[in-house]
Amino acid sequence: MGLDYKWVLWNAHKKTYDRLILLGMVTYLVLFFVLSFLTNPEIIAETVIIRAFGSLAIIMLHIILSIGPLSRLNPRFLPLLYNRRHLGVSMFLAALVHGVFAIIQFHALGNSNPIVSVFTSNMDYGSLVNFPFQVLGFLALLILFTMASTSHDFFLYNLSPKIWKGLHMGVYLAYALVIMHVFLGAFQQDTSLLTVLALFLGLLTLVSLHLKAAFKETKIDGMAGAKDTKGWLAVCHPREITESYAKIFTVDGERVAIFKHEGKLSAIHNVCKHQGGPLGEGKIVDGCVTCPWHGYQYLAHNGQSPPPFTEKVKTYALKIENDMVYINPEAFPEGTAVTPIYCGS
Amino acid sequence: MKGENEFYIGYSGEVGKETKKVLTRFVWTAVFVLLIGVFLFGFLQQPAVNSSFDFGDPTQVSGVYHESPYPMLRVQLSEDEYKEIVLLGFGKSGPNPFLKDLRKKEGVLHGKQMTIEGQLIYYNGKTLLEIDDSQKVSVSGKGDSIVPSSLGKATVAGEIIDPKCYFGVMKPGYGKIHRSCAALCIAGGVPPVLVSKDENNVEDYFLLTDLKGNAIHQDIVPYIGQTSRLKGAVEQLGGWKIMRIDISQIVKLDSESSIY
Repeated sequence: MGLDYKWVLWNAHKKTYDRLILLGMVTYLVLFFVLSFLTNPEIIAETVIIRAFGSLAIIMLHIILSIGPLSRLNPRFLPLLYNRRHLGVSMFLAALVHGVFAIIQFHALGNSNPIVSVFTSNMDYGSLVNFPFQVLGFLALLILFTMASTSHDFFLYNLSPKIWKGLHMGVYLAYALVIMHVFLGAFQQDTSLLTVLALFLGLLTLVSLHLKAAFKETKIDGMAGAKDTKGWLAVCHPREITESYAKIFTVDGERVAIFKHEGKLSAIHNVCKHQGGPLGEGKIVDGCVTCPWHGYQYLAHNGQSPPPFTEKVKTYALKIENDMVYINPEAFPEGTAVTPIYCGS
Repeated sequence: MKGENEFYIGYSGEVGKETKKVLTRFVWTAVFVLLIGVFLFGFLQQPAVNSSFDFGDPTQVSGVYHESPYPMLRVQLSEDEYKEIVLLGFGKSGPNPFLKDLRKKEGVLHGKQMTIEGQLIYYNGKTLLEIDDSQKVSVSGKGDSIVPSSLGKATVAGEIIDPKCYFGVMKPGYGKIHRSCAALCIAGGVPPVLVSKDENNVEDYFLLTDLKGNAIHQDIVPYIGQTSRLKGAVEQLGGWKIMRIDISQIVKLDSESSIY
């Protein structure tokens, strides 16, 4: 959490994370260059640069896209999510080197503008096999640029989390464009069955992980009890909630987290104001609900971030009757204090 | 679940034991994926041919200039041996912008002895020369020009490429990946060349002209970088074959190019 904007709020974990990214990228590129020139001595450096950075970006994109669902399936993966934006920006830089070199190599020094040439030098838009695949890569690069250039809390705050999140969901469109770019480009000419299979396997892995994570989410959405005569919703027994943790329920289409802190229950909206993290999968640390994604904190009884921070989430009224926890589906405005209810254990 | 109470907060500096284990496994998996990637994308590349582009290493070449259909220099290698070097311009252009000043000064250049300093491109017995500076071209007298001889009519299947990239500047300088570049080169004044390969992997090259023997550029762009079948009258011009074609009669073939 921060009160002002800095380029990077460095800490030990981010430094380790970035060192590993750099080490992985440099190792890949060095190995690619050595292997290329040893096994293919007539090849030229420009081709190796384009291929090395392009393939590195694709592999990194697969790794990035696996982190989200893995973290949903197992919270032990959450440290990977914490600094994922640095991985994303690094992947964009690799894709940018690939794109810039390809545009210089194939489109510069001609009789038209290189960017215009990307769109006009092959006009077979009606053909699948002859489709101008470079256009697909260019559009993917534009999406990745938009994402990389807004990968900062300054843009998250100023664009609003909803718009920012929507913008960054563009990574899936970019992934689809990249896959088509490769299948309609490189794989039309320099094909090896193993590389085609590897990309299929990557696609299959990502689809499976996302489906599995989505299935887990639907289980949460199904966790809603029957309403009593006054419209309150029965959700669980008090003992089902572990001290300092929460259970998540869906109340009138909204996810709500019911936390237990020092034997008392409080309910807040489940969505973190920072990046939409699931607060109910967090923990109460130093008396505050702590988001599992980036550690943003809220007080359970009023949904407010502790001063001097200003984030606020909606709160809900709870009651216990006949050893059953009931929640009033009508939320209070963000930051409204609600007295926690004592549940004894 | 083991380590259930572990809770990671990025800025706190603490990582639980079970979390560390999971992260270590992930990092090693990522390393494995990267190594597999290096092997697949690095090792399984198609071998590049031994074509050459003497970039940054200019050569001075003297010979008799031949104007049509595409500028060439006929260079005498020994008493009875000649080589016709196709002239090209800098980047994706033909040689004419670099010969403009000389034409103004000397008039018709065809048949004149010329000395050019440029960068050689060569592969499989064919040589081309990139001119990147009009000041490095000079004329010194008259010489013997070449006369084409007819080889009859032929139908040839192959791929239309730009010879600058194919014979050395790029590897690979053909196919779909390179198609945009080839289109720009040919539209910019580089002569189009049909490459065919027989069952013994022996390649044959044809400089393409229209039916009247004039240079063609922009009109042939839609057919570049794809397998096609062309037919026309073939002539021998020194070391090059020239095929006169009707562009509208080119047949695109939906098959993989034999030069891949």
